[in-house]
Amino acid sequence: MMYEHFDNAVKGISKTLEQDPEGIHARKKYVLGLSKLGKKLYTKDENIAWCGVTAPFDLLSAMGVTSCFVEFVGAMLAATQTAGFFFEEAEDSGFATDSCAYHRAVMGAVLKNAMPEPDFIIGTSSPCTAGLAIVENFAKQYKKDFFILNIPQNYTKDTINYLAAQIEEMTHFVSDHTQRPLSKKKLSLALENFNTCSGIIKDIYELAKTKPSPVDNKILKDFGTVVALLMGTQEGIDICQAFKDELSHRIATSQHLASKEHIRLMWIQNRIQYPFPINEMLDDLGAKVVVDELNNVTWELMDPDNPFESIAKRMISIPFSMNTSERIKTMKNLATDYQIDGAINPCHWGCRQGTGARGLISKGFKDINVPVLNLEIDCVDSRNLAKGQIETRVEAFIEMLS
Amino acid sequence: MNKKIGFTCAYTPVPLIEAAGFSPFRIFPETKAPDQSGHLLHDNLCPHVKKVLDRALADDLPDLEGMVFINSCDAMRRLADAWHDARPNDKIALLDLPSGVNSLSLNFLSKEYERLAKMLFEWNDTDFSEEIIKDKINTWNHLAGVVKEIEGTMSNGYFPGYASGLQHIINTVATDLTNTALLMAQEYAQPKALASKGRVPVYIFGNLLFDPKVYDLFEDYNIHVTASDFCTSSRFITPIDSKADENIFTSMAISYLSQTPCARTMDTTLPGSIAQRIVEQAKMSHAKGVIGFTLKFCDPYLARIPMIRQALQKESIPFLMLEGDCTTGSMGQQQTRIEAFTEMLGV
Ligand code: SF4
Ligand code: SF4
Repeated sequence: MMYEHFDNAVKGISKTLEQDPEGIHARKKYVLGLSKLGKKLYTKDENIAWCGVTAPFDLLSAMGVTSCFVEFVGAMLAATQTAGFFFEEAEDSGFATDSCAYHRAVMGAVLKNAMPEPDFIIGTSSPCTAGLAIVENFAKQYKKDFFILNIPQNYTKDTINYLAAQIEEMTHFVSDHTQRPLSKKKLSLALENFNTCSGIIKDIYELAKTKPSPVDNKILKDFGTVVALLMGTQEGIDICQAFKDELSHRIATSQHLASKEHIRLMWIQNRIQYPFPINEMLDDLGAKVVVDELNNVTWELMDPDNPFESIAKRMISIPFSMNTSERIKTMKNLATDYQIDGAINPCHWGCRQGTGARGLISKGFKDINVPVLNLEIDCVDSRNLAKGQIETRVEAFIEMLS
Repeated sequence: MNKKIGFTCAYTPVPLIEAAGFSPFRIFPETKAPDQSGHLLHDNLCPHVKKVLDRALADDLPDLEGMVFINSCDAMRRLADAWHDARPNDKIALLDLPSGVNSLSLNFLSKEYERLAKMLFEWNDTDFSEEIIKDKINTWNHLAGVVKEIEGTMSNGYFPGYASGLQHIINTVATDLTNTALLMAQEYAQPKALASKGRVPVYIFGNLLFDPKVYDLFEDYNIHVTASDFCTSSRFITPIDSKADENIFTSMAISYLSQTPCARTMDTTLPGSIAQRIVEQAKMSHAKGVIGFTLKFCDPYLARIPMIRQALQKESIPFLMLEGDCTTGSMGQQQTRIEAFTEMLGV
């Protein structure tokens, strides 16, 4: 089922792009890149690893492993409105409805044999305990070897060394399974690609800061988290470049001036994954999400001579891994840089990691006089969606900001 | 009277707190303080974290010199974050706790425990002394040994009130001093009454069950608790094998990571081993059935319940799963289900 979905997406988007070879089509190229990855994940002769969200995908791709975080599939199932069937399967098997629906969806898919069997599993302790618990379930279900990357919360010399050593050990674990040693040359290339991507992404974010912003409510949706799957590759560079070109083009042709942008917003953590016309609604209200919290480069350039240490520093620097006060500090900087008027925090049901900090985040924004709308919503499971209520709250919030 | 160090997690090495000249004070989620933690964090967090934070917000705590937090799960991480806000004057130590057991994790945790030890001695303005740490570990291990003996007696026969008495001893070491608890335990090792008959032997496990009265309630519901596995029961008194390594902190890390089997810690070579362990412990304690008791919104446990259920089913061991909020009241609400379960098990 998922293979067909990705295959159709690849065919459909490729055709559109062929018809307009001069066009930029950043979002289409991005979805194409992800669909190709999705297709590979569902292809038998690939080395597949299911991972946690913050795994080093650049390093894994340098080792010839097709890898992805499991929550990506949860989001895809929600986006294609097929998740309901899998939620039920997981819940019937005893997975609590109070748990994060990214995990419930994907666990249901595992139980229904709708997920490709991985060669091995790499769990990450960041972003969440729940994610680690679910990949342990995967490892048990598939009877596959399991490796954990413990990402400490404290940023010190010891914690960086500890994570760097684990990453190095992970490369041995991977080699043992793929029978391919780590090639320094390939790793250097992947890190260079990653650096190039990071540079372009920084430019993209700089462009997004322009007032009015050349972004629309959809273009950079969940970009920071998901693009990490592609950043070690040339394809990743091309995709990032397309986004940069697209935003530059919008500015050069003054399209951004024509967009309605009375209110500039920040979106905290992840977007809503199933079809729900919140973006259109914000458009109508003249409000624009100019920055997603996780669309941020928090790391320094990777050093190919110290690959494991660089990757470790990067992993600890991701807002998910930090303590809340550090995370709020980072958000406040974004709020100032992007000159936002308000923030939307979708308090995803079942997320202890992000939603758990709801009150602290609101308080942090209060210090800089930025109102926050806390939306109590499940971003993946739409079965209990109180659509009208959410719409009324969003409307009232935008009205208040206006 | 020693100054107190607050803590919340079973991975906190109490001997280090005592060696630095403090008394340990485990903050149990038991309070009449108003429910305000949801404002600072969110309502969908486990009642453990929420009630501990409620205590902090309502100042329902003794004088504390500082707090030790362990980065054991997301909810606990958020509690540590909120503590800075709720009690800005407290000294706070946050330790990173690895999820898997291997040489890198052990080495890292060893350093974390060493960091904690140095911090605690510094907080009390006392010279660091490995000798004192070792001495405190000896008493701690002595207590762990007596507690094990008590548990052995508990598995082999039903002595009314014995399980709640044991919990009382464990709570004493968590909130007073190891020496005091040791004296109580030694006194308690031999049951005062003769073994009774007529209760259903049941093994219980989960995250938190600290109120001794709950164990009495279980007896009222016709249960003989043969053994228990909670982060507030005997696994909190993890014996520290001082000979495991020549470095005392590494010995501590080895002991805690391999012997304190909370759901949040995994054996990567055997994914899902928590399920097997529960089956084995239930069998070893001669239980006829198993009751799981977890707090609402506890991801580490809730995500493992399906595999535990499956493993017990495979061995034909009846299983009852209860979810609650740490109070005897919530246990009372489950009375009918528990009694139906024991009835089904027969005597
Ligand atoms: S939404 Fe929260 S609980 Fe769910 S995967 Fe993301 S961080 Fe984990
Ligand atoms: S392990 Fe469970 S009960 Fe303990 S703090 Fe974490 S979520 Fe709460």
